[in-house]
Amino acid sequence: MAMNRRDTFKLAGVAAAAAAMPSIAVASEAKAKEVAKKAGGKSVVIVGAGFGGLTMAKALRKSDKSIEVTVIEKRSMHMACPLSNGLLGGLKDMSLSMFVGDYYEPATKYGYTFVNSEVTSIDRKAKTVSTSTAGDVAYDILVLSPGIAYDYEKQFPKWSKEKIAHVAAACPAGLMPGNEHIALKRQLENMDDGTVFIVPPAKGKFRCPPAPYERTAMIANYLKNEGIKGKVVVLDTRGGKFAKAKAFKESWADLYEGLIEYKGLTEVTDVDPVAKTITYTEYANVDDEKGVSKTEKYEVCNLIPLNKCSPVIAMAGIEHNGGGYAKMDGYSFKSKTDSSVYVIGDAVTHKIPPSGQTAIWGAQRATGQIIAQLNGTVNDPIKGLPAKAANVCFSMVGGKPEEAIMVTHTFSADKSGVLKGKGSVPKPKDGKGKFRSEGTAKATREWFGGVMREMFA
Amino acid sequence: MERRNFLQLSATSAMAVAIAPSLITQKLHAEDGTLFKTYEKVQLKDAEGNPLKASALVEEENYIFSYPYAGTPAIMVNLKEAATSDVELVAEDGTKYLCKGGVGSKGTIVAYSAICAHQMTYPKKDMAMFQYVPSTGKTLAYEHAGIFVCSSHLAAYDAKQGGKVLGGPANQGLAQIILEVDADDTIWAVAVLGPDKFEDFFSAFKKDLKKEFGRKGAKKLMKTEAKVQELKNFTAQLIQA
Repeated sequence: MAMNRRDTFKLAGVAAAAAAMPSIAVASEAKAKEVAKKAGGKSVVIVGAGFGGLTMAKALRKSDKSIEVTVIEKRSMHMACPLSNGLLGGLKDMSLSMFVGDYYEPATKYGYTFVNSEVTSIDRKAKTVSTSTAGDVAYDILVLSPGIAYDYEKQFPKWSKEKIAHVAAACPAGLMPGNEHIALKRQLENMDDGTVFIVPPAKGKFRCPPAPYERTAMIANYLKNEGIKGKVVVLDTRGGKFAKAKAFKESWADLYEGLIEYKGLTEVTDVDPVAKTITYTEYANVDDEKGVSKTEKYEVCNLIPLNKCSPVIAMAGIEHNGGGYAKMDGYSFKSKTDSSVYVIGDAVTHKIPPSGQTAIWGAQRATGQIIAQLNGTVNDPIKGLPAKAANVCFSMVGGKPEEAIMVTHTFSADKSGVLKGKGSVPKPKDGKGKFRSEGTAKATREWFGGVMREMFA
Repeated sequence: MERRNFLQLSATSAMAVAIAPSLITQKLHAEDGTLFKTYEKVQLKDAEGNPLKASALVEEENYIFSYPYAGTPAIMVNLKEAATSDVELVAEDGTKYLCKGGVGSKGTIVAYSAICAHQMTYPKKDMAMFQYVPSTGKTLAYEHAGIFVCSSHLAAYDAKQGGKVLGGPANQGLAQIILEVDADDTIWAVAVLGPDKFEDFFSAFKKDLKKEFGRKGAKKLMKTEAKVQELKNFTAQLIQA
C-alpha cells in the first residue's frame, strides 16, 4: 500500500516532465496504474475538492490508513461560499483570507494525494479517470463531488456564446466562489449611487437557497453604511415563497426600510452589459399572463442563472435527471448505476438542501458506506435516520450590530425512496421575539470556522 | 500504534476472562494508552483558591476549568441524576470504549472536555456556544435538554452516558474528564477517557491560543490545581440554540 503512494508521486513527477514527451508519460502512467490496482484494491479517487470532497478525503484517511486517497481538483486554491455575502456586505473584519485555504495543508496532514488538474474523461470499465495534465488515475472506488454549473443556455436560449460570456463577467452570479465573488465585491466598491439588481435563479434546484436573499440584506447593509444613495431590487419568480422567507422579510423591513424592493413575479428577458440595463417583465399577480416589460439601469447586477449539475456526472455515464444530478441507489450516496461510484455534495438527487454542511454530512455518511464496501461489511444507509439538525444553515441579515437568522433541517428516509430534509426556522433565545439575533450572528461565524476546520485542520 | 494497542488489550482481556467476566470491561478503560490517559492529579479550586467541595456544587450549573492542559477547557456538571457507567461508546476510528459513571455522594458529578468533538468549538471569554443545557431548558439540537449542546452546528451529547452523541453532526462522543472525590469532599481531575481532540485543537487554534496563553502556554500541563469558574461568569455571552 505504501507502494501505491510512491507510484502516485512517480506519476506526478512524470506528469511534470510530460510536457516535453507526452507519449512516454502515458506509457509510464499505464504501468503505474497496473501496480496501483494490484496494490490492495483500496484506492479511492475523489473528483472535486469542495466541502464534500475535502471532508471525505480526510474522513477516509482518518478511518482507515490503508486506503489510498487521491483528490482531483481543477482549481489551485479553495474558496468557501458560505458567509461570503458577509464579505460583499462589508461586515467588520471580513477579508478574503477568511475564505481561502490551500489544498496542500490537509493533503499533507492526512496523507492523501492532491492532483491539481481537470478531469477530461471517466472510463468506468477500466476504472480510470483521465486528467488534462496529470494523466490517468486508477480507482477502486470513484467519488464524484463536482458541484454545480450554470445554465445560461437554457434560461436565455437566444443568447450567443459570446453574449453569455459577456454577461457572466459583467453580472457575476456569485454562487461558485472565486472570480465571481471578487468581481462582485469590486463592482460594489466602485459603484456610484444607483440600483443593485439581484436576480435569484428563476427556477429549479440551486446552490444555497437562502443565498440571494441573504445577499439582498448584506448589500443593503453595504449601501446603508457607505451612504450610497440607491436600493437593492430583487427580481424573483417565487412570489415571496423562498427559503427562510418570513425571517428575511422581517429583517429587511426592520433594518433596511426603503432600501430593498422585492418583486416576486418577474421574468428577466435581457441584460445589456454595455448600456448597463436589465429588461424584465413584471406580472401584477399569478393570473397576469401579459405583464409589463421594463428596462432599467443598473449599477451592479447580480444575475444568478439557472443551476445545473456539473457535467462530470454525465461524463461518468451514470444515470442522472434532467438537470444532470446523479440518481442515487436508495438512501445511500452510491450511484444508482455503478456500485463503484459514489456521488456527494450538490450533485445528488436526494431532496436535501445543497449546502456546505449538507455536503459535509453526506461525505461523512458516504465515507462509512465506502469503508464498509471496501472491507466487505454492511453499512445500512438508513442508520441513524432521521438525523435531527443534520443541516444548520445561517444567514447574516444585519451589519451594525451583526445579526443573523437560521434554519435547521432534519434528514430522513423519505417514502419516495430518497433522503429528504425538513426545515424549521426557529426564533433565537436572545432575539426578543424576532427571528434574528446577535448571538445567532456569532454562531454564524463560529459555524463557518468549524466547517473550515473540518476541511483544512 | 492502534494495532499494537489492540493486541495488548486482547492479551489482557484473555487473561481477564479466566478471572471474572466483569473485569474485561474494566480493562477496556484501563491504561491501554489509546483511549485512557492519566495526567497530573489536579485539585479543583474556587476563584479564591479554596478547595471546591463536591457537596457544594449547584445542580446543573456549568463549571469550567482547564484540564489537562492550560489551554484545553473542561466543563463539570452536577447532574440531576446519577451518570451511568460502562456505557459502550465508539470512537470515530471504530475503537470501542466504556465510559465511567459520575462521582460524588450520588454519582451525579461528571466532567467533559469542552472541545466539541465535531469541529472543536469551545467556550471562549467573549462567548460560549458549547455548554450543558439544564434539563429545564430547551434546545434545537435534541428533543430534550439536560445534555451538552454545541450551538454552532447543533451537536448534542449525553451528559449521563459518557458524552455519547445524541444528535447532530458529531461522529464521536466527548472526551470524558475522569474525576475523583476524596473522603474530605475535595474534587480532583486525574485522567481523560475517550477520543480527545487536544492535538487537533492546538493545531487548529494555534493563533488564538498564542494570543491568550503566549507562545507555548496553552500546552502547559495543569499541575496540582485548577481554578473553577461558573461558565456564565467566565464568558461575556452564553449562546445557546
